[in-house]
Amino acid sequence: MRRSNLAVWLATLAFVVGVSKVAWAGNPVNGTSLLNLLVFALPLAGIYALSAAGLVVVYTTTGIFNFAQGAIGMLLAYFYWELRVKRGLPTWLALVLTVLVAAPLIGVTLDRLIMRHLQGKSLVAQLTVTIGLMFAFIGLANMIWDQNLGYVLPSFFGDRGFHIGDVVMTWHRFITLTLTVVLAVGLRAFLFGTRSGIAMRAVVDNRSLAGLSGARSEFLSSFAWALGCALAALAGIFLAPESGMATGGPLTLLIITAFAAAVVGRLRSLPMTYVGALLLALAVEWSQLFLQFGGRWGQLPLALPTVMLFIVLLLLPSARLQFARINVVRHSERVSSVRDTVVGMAVLLATIAAISTFLSPTNMNRFALGMCTALVALSLVPLIGWAGQVSLAPLAFAGIGAVAYTRLGGMHGHWYAVVLAALLVVPVGALLALPAMRLQGLYLALATMAFASMVEFVFFTQPWALGTQDRKVQRLHLFGAHFASTRSFLLLVTAVFGLTGIGVVALRRSALGRRFVALRDSEAASATVGVNILETKVLVFMLSAGMAGFAGAFMAQYYETVSGGQFQMLAGLSIVLALVIGGVATVAGALFAGMFGLGLVLVKDNWHLSLWKALEYLAPGLAAIGIIQNPSGAVVAIGEGFAPLLPWRKDARRDADALREANAEPEVGNLGLARPFSEADVLIVDRALGITNDVPRATARVGSA
Amino acid sequence: MTLLEVTDVTVRFAGVIALDGTSLAVPAGSVTGLIGPNGAGKTTLFNVITGLQSPTSGRVVLDGTDVTRAKPHRRARKGIARTFQRLEAFGSLTARDNVLVALEMRRRWWPERYVPGPLADTLLAQVGISAVADAKVESLPTGTARLVEVARALAVAPKVLLLDEPSSGLDERETHELGELLLRLSSDGLGVLLVEHDMAFVMDTCAHINVLDFGRVIARGTPGEVQADAAVQQAYLGTRAHR
Repeated sequence: MRRSNLAVWLATLAFVVGVSKVAWAGNPVNGTSLLNLLVFALPLAGIYALSAAGLVVVYTTTGIFNFAQGAIGMLLAYFYWELRVKRGLPTWLALVLTVLVAAPLIGVTLDRLIMRHLQGKSLVAQLTVTIGLMFAFIGLANMIWDQNLGYVLPSFFGDRGFHIGDVVMTWHRFITLTLTVVLAVGLRAFLFGTRSGIAMRAVVDNRSLAGLSGARSEFLSSFAWALGCALAALAGIFLAPESGMATGGPLTLLIITAFAAAVVGRLRSLPMTYVGALLLALAVEWSQLFLQFGGRWGQLPLALPTVMLFIVLLLLPSARLQFARINVVRHSERVSSVRDTVVGMAVLLATIAAISTFLSPTNMNRFALGMCTALVALSLVPLIGWAGQVSLAPLAFAGIGAVAYTRLGGMHGHWYAVVLAALLVVPVGALLALPAMRLQGLYLALATMAFASMVEFVFFTQPWALGTQDRKVQRLHLFGAHFASTRSFLLLVTAVFGLTGIGVVALRRSALGRRFVALRDSEAASATVGVNILETKVLVFMLSAGMAGFAGAFMAQYYETVSGGQFQMLAGLSIVLALVIGGVATVAGALFAGMFGLGLVLVKDNWHLSLWKALEYLAPGLAAIGIIQNPSGAVVAIGEGFAPLLPWRKDARRDADALREANAEPEVGNLGLARPFSEADVLIVDRALGITNDVPRATARVGSA
Repeated sequence: MTLLEVTDVTVRFAGVIALDGTSLAVPAGSVTGLIGPNGAGKTTLFNVITGLQSPTSGRVVLDGTDVTRAKPHRRARKGIARTFQRLEAFGSLTARDNVLVALEMRRRWWPERYVPGPLADTLLAQVGISAVADAKVESLPTGTARLVEVARALAVAPKVLLLDEPSSGLDERETHELGELLLRLSSDGLGVLLVEHDMAFVMDTCAHINVLDFGRVIARGTPGEVQADAAVQQAYLGTRAHR
């Protein structure tokens, strides 16, 4: 066993013993209580296993890691409620309609409309699209089922059950357990024993190769999505009677537990996934039955799945250096000049100053929050946009920064509190980066998400952080001015965003910025020109953490009363989502991320139409689908469209001309000389020969130009 | 003088033997060829030499120092540079920035001071791609992007330069110019190890050639000797029973 693994195991053991000792509730540990533990844990393990198996089936077949798995289960649990409770259909019929009709329908639709087009896109695009879907499904459920009303899904056969010794096993739990065991065995038999199953496992390794050897990869990926959604539906329906049906609650967050279980199976092995699910369920029920948490550890049980996820990730073997992913289509953004950015930021400040003279206090507040959010998003630009390290924890770092601000002079609005907040978070970034460095891509993203969730549940409640009460802070006193009013604060944050943005652009054009981008493009090549990969990754994590901490200090000032609830993991995910929609590698993308939510709220407020209400719920998810068309982000696409119209952008006009020239139909005799013969070229030849009248699609050539 | 010495290197991937006790030497001042059929283990050997793949057994010695356990970036700093068969240029950077990344890193360990900018332009001119200095590499044709990789590798100021099929994607004239450049550089004391499929290019450029097949060196010698070797002809023409 590797020494580092031994350390992780020992730390885990110490954690379990330590937590058990601190929180021991005093219940006797005997045959009955242990049997009780099993009776509770086994069905729960089954539910976890269902959800995780759905994740694994989709991932192994399509290569897409579905963040929306939990939300799909939640939505379908509501659908089941609608049929079973509201319409009064018999249980079996409602189950069949939900699991065998609605779920596969959703799965196939998702595959056809969205997921299929995500093949070969960058990891961050794939992740954010499914994150967007998660928000869209939450929005959809909120829209259809008014959350001001309560929803209760009845258990199968109510509370009735049978006795095992002194312990009651309800029929609901028994059915859950039996069905999950049957499904688990059946799934394994299907994947290993049938032609389709084996083909499904082959498709992910090489889609086109599997296609050549006769696998119908299109059918199989639809089938995997249908199966994944059906499993999600079952997990949701089984869990809902015990967990409640809040749309953003346990049903949706079941995804984190499923992640943890699936990672135990390295996202491939179903048996190990089931082992992971069992261990998790035992841990959860152990904490429920034998432990009692209060005060600073009050929310620890909520963090258990993420703690486990984090531990499992640390036990994964070290990733090898990554070569360039040649099949990723990348259309990289133009790098702005510092001068342009200075001008742009001056215009931004002037615009905000002008607008703010006639904004209502409410809207002024929203603008200020938007600008703070943009500042948080900006911290991700070097990390995700340049260095290609996907972090889902921006708001967690901001939260730590906010706490630092409150404790280190923010109560009186001292300027140095902002500096200290940034500096203090830098080593935290390194602390996360060091273990995370062994991970790559998806695993790294999950580790940062687990970290964010641990910060949310375990960090803020510590007495030396926020404790259980909220903390008041003052806005900055700077150069003899106090930025107490909303307008002055808005202008301050805008100016700060502008200066930070200029700094970011200057950094991108520096040696360090180039090194970060080189790391993203090819780790292997970076290493062979002398770049220390580990050092560079830790550096970019520290930089990003520091920037997020800095942004957190302004978040704290915006709220004036700081509480942990302002820095939840889910809210952090939506910032990442908005940034990717806007353009993950650009300052303008960060600004877009800040203004995105604000825009939706403004639209809804000012036009009282139910359509806009729907838009507010669904827009994040719908916008995420746009990532498929514009992987470099909306802002970049808009910018490229507008730039040639600006008189001083000669370069943009030149690029546009070059593109038009590349798109112009070439002489048939010249085809295949400048670049490989493509399908579009075949069409041109066919047309010249009078075989077809189809016009070659221009876009096919734009991509290769 | 031998600059780079690979001794008895074996690499096993879960049952498959990619390299089987391979040994070869790269002297200073000449171009050494490494040829062999697809899958012979040429790229794996490059990965072992540059530290991207750790060998199951064997040693890599650079200029008298054992670097077998050194990390890739340490080897680069000691003077090993390479290009890749499957393009690994920094696609979203310009050709000039590709070279600059390497030059800016080298400033950390290089004893003399220099200004990276002008040096980058010199290197791009050396490989003949000054005209596309400000173009993003992802927009360049494959052959040109390979030359960017060559310029980037030279920016490390290597003692040994490993080139993995640099001529694929180049036309006849460009290939000839690349050969001239390699001969010029090696006459200044650089050791070059060249993997190539273009036999005319190899025979014209290399002073010595190693032939690899199934992870073993089956022949070595001057171009003339290698061409006459029966084992080489078998490996390439496929007359052996199991091929």
